[in-house]
Amino acid sequence: MDGGLLTTGMLLLPVGVGALCLFIRPPHRVLWIAAIGVIAHTLLSALVAVRVFTTGPLVAASNWLRVDALSAYHLLVMGAVFSLSAVYACGYFGVELREGTLTGAQARRFAGLFCLSLASMTLVLISNNLGLMWIGIETTTLLTAFLICVHVNRTSLEAMWKYLLVCSVGVAFAFMGTLLAGASAARLHLRTEAGLLWTELWANAAALDPFTMKAAFLFLLVGYGTKTGLAPMHSWLPDAHSQAPTPVSAIFSGFMLNASLYCVMRYVPLVEGAIGHSGWSLRILTVFGLVSIVVAAAFIVFQRDVKRLLAYHSVEHLGIITLGLGLGGLGNFAALFHTLNHSLSKSLSFFAAGRLGQMHGSHDIEAIGGSLRHAPLWGMGLFASILALIGMAPFALFMSEFQIMRAAAEGEHYLPLAVFLLGAAVVFVGASRHAIAIAWGDAHGQAKPARAARADPVLVFAPLAVLLLLGLAMPDPLRHALEQAAAIVGGQP
Amino acid sequence: MYSWPDTFLVILVLTNLVLLGSSRIATYIRVAAVQGVVLGLLPMLTHLAEEPARILMLGLLGLVTIGVKGVVFPWILLRTLARANVHRELKPYVGYTTATLAGVVALAISLHIGARIPLPAVPFSQLAVSVGLFTFLVGLFLIVSRRKAITQVLGYLVLENGIYAFGIAAVAEVSVLVELGVLLDAFVAVFVMQIAIYHISQEFPSTDVDQLKDLRG
Repeated sequence: MDGGLLTTGMLLLPVGVGALCLFIRPPHRVLWIAAIGVIAHTLLSALVAVRVFTTGPLVAASNWLRVDALSAYHLLVMGAVFSLSAVYACGYFGVELREGTLTGAQARRFAGLFCLSLASMTLVLISNNLGLMWIGIETTTLLTAFLICVHVNRTSLEAMWKYLLVCSVGVAFAFMGTLLAGASAARLHLRTEAGLLWTELWANAAALDPFTMKAAFLFLLVGYGTKTGLAPMHSWLPDAHSQAPTPVSAIFSGFMLNASLYCVMRYVPLVEGAIGHSGWSLRILTVFGLVSIVVAAAFIVFQRDVKRLLAYHSVEHLGIITLGLGLGGLGNFAALFHTLNHSLSKSLSFFAAGRLGQMHGSHDIEAIGGSLRHAPLWGMGLFASILALIGMAPFALFMSEFQIMRAAAEGEHYLPLAVFLLGAAVVFVGASRHAIAIAWGDAHGQAKPARAARADPVLVFAPLAVLLLLGLAMPDPLRHALEQAAAIVGGQP
Repeated sequence: MYSWPDTFLVILVLTNLVLLGSSRIATYIRVAAVQGVVLGLLPMLTHLAEEPARILMLGLLGLVTIGVKGVVFPWILLRTLARANVHRELKPYVGYTTATLAGVVALAISLHIGARIPLPAVPFSQLAVSVGLFTFLVGLFLIVSRRKAITQVLGYLVLENGIYAFGIAAVAEVSVLVELGVLLDAFVAVFVMQIAIYHISQEFPSTDVDQLKDLRG
């Protein structure tokens, strides 16, 4: 099939499904249609990704859309997170529909916006024009703002307002950075239409103005970093993650943050090319990564709400990925591998936390304590995924964190290594205490009996199985894909 | 050299100072509307391009900008003002005199930085980069120092205006399509924020953002 058609199809499919969702009456059916649409999109992305990994980048719309190995890899991660979340949403909102806490209109709004945010994140990943990429990120903010507020109440409004304002302003910084990056190419006299094309800037990276490009990178890192949830710009993140309905928390944490970090990854080779590979931008990434790890570790210890706990884990893990990028070389490979591992385990942990919260009517860690007794499936899922998140072997997160440590040791970055180990140790102790309370603690309230959906065991065991298998051995196609994607971040052709 | 663009840029600076020093929200909205019109006129009255097609596109962009920033935004915001029943910015975190003084300092800093950024081959005014930065900073200041939700939305708009002015000056190559997309995003952002303010005014006694403090830690 024609590459251009495939690429534009990836954009149009979710938009179409999203529009369709607004016109279907029965709320259960709307949720299922959204899920089927998302899975179809994932299959299409997988098809595109296979093409890209075997025969090279796909280009469409006069070079404005382009899928290379880095985009293709992120498309696969996004597909996994969105598909799992869409299927989970059918069960999760199914309960609320039966209880009458969710109306048909709310279900339609959720399904429509869910599909549209999938489309806007796809736009981020496949656009070659850096301005278009920015538009994708900002659109994501605006669409998902309403997803936080599916249930309108005081706390969800507060979370939505903070999210809207902090992320819009943050992302405005990123646009300033995008413009500065364009300005750094002023000496090249590119054609008007080619001014912000990533491929053009990348091909001429050595000729870009270094001062302007450095300024651009600072603006971009603060801007996209805000939406990535890097400390100290993470203030919106725990509120939004804890107040959003759980399927939304899962896509926030599982992929939206990564989509924003992906934008930073795109700029790293441009900056490094412009300043002659002196490692300046990598040092800044390292600092931001380490600060995020340390700040998150401090907050994880004192959390009482399980969704806020998971939100701070996101800050920590995005910090780890950023640290990997900052280390460069093997670090890029490990950072990308960690992206997949974190997205899978974080989706699973949110799924479990959401269902347990539904049964107990609260997300308080004390309230859902002893979950292994009254809800073995979800209790086990939450316990295992928190163990994975704190880096317990043999889950894949242990492997990717180990690779990041190796990258630090090989590059003789001993101070970052020490800080990382310290942060990881604090998280390990703090979060395992919470995990034990969740699994075996004494519950205060009465749990409502859970009605299991047929897809539930798959949602728990599929991510866990993948995490276990990847922790034991890495299949060759994945290694190949990761190497190609890491080479792009590392600035090699 | 005295020219049309420079006059407009001076108007932008003055409007920013008005924003920093006044307390009536309706004034903020009108001032932001003036900024929108000035920004729309900027690309039309300057000779940024030679080819007729590009001039036409820039003219179109200017018209859309005037329509959205000068007419639609003020209309949406004035309506929100009436519905949420707020009129004045009472007790800002930073007083108006201090804010104006801070604005003058920010202007000096922007002029200093603006002179250091390289411009494309056909710059229309070196001043525009500085004024863009200044407007950006004023927007940011409004967001962090004022209490009403609607003033924060205005701050966001002013910030966007700054980026727009900066974009015209510093990057001749940004295509009109991207600019239109950005404008559309700003439009939707204001729309979404307006809905949020409406819900906040329904759920809370007022639209002061310092009531939004239940979520901590």
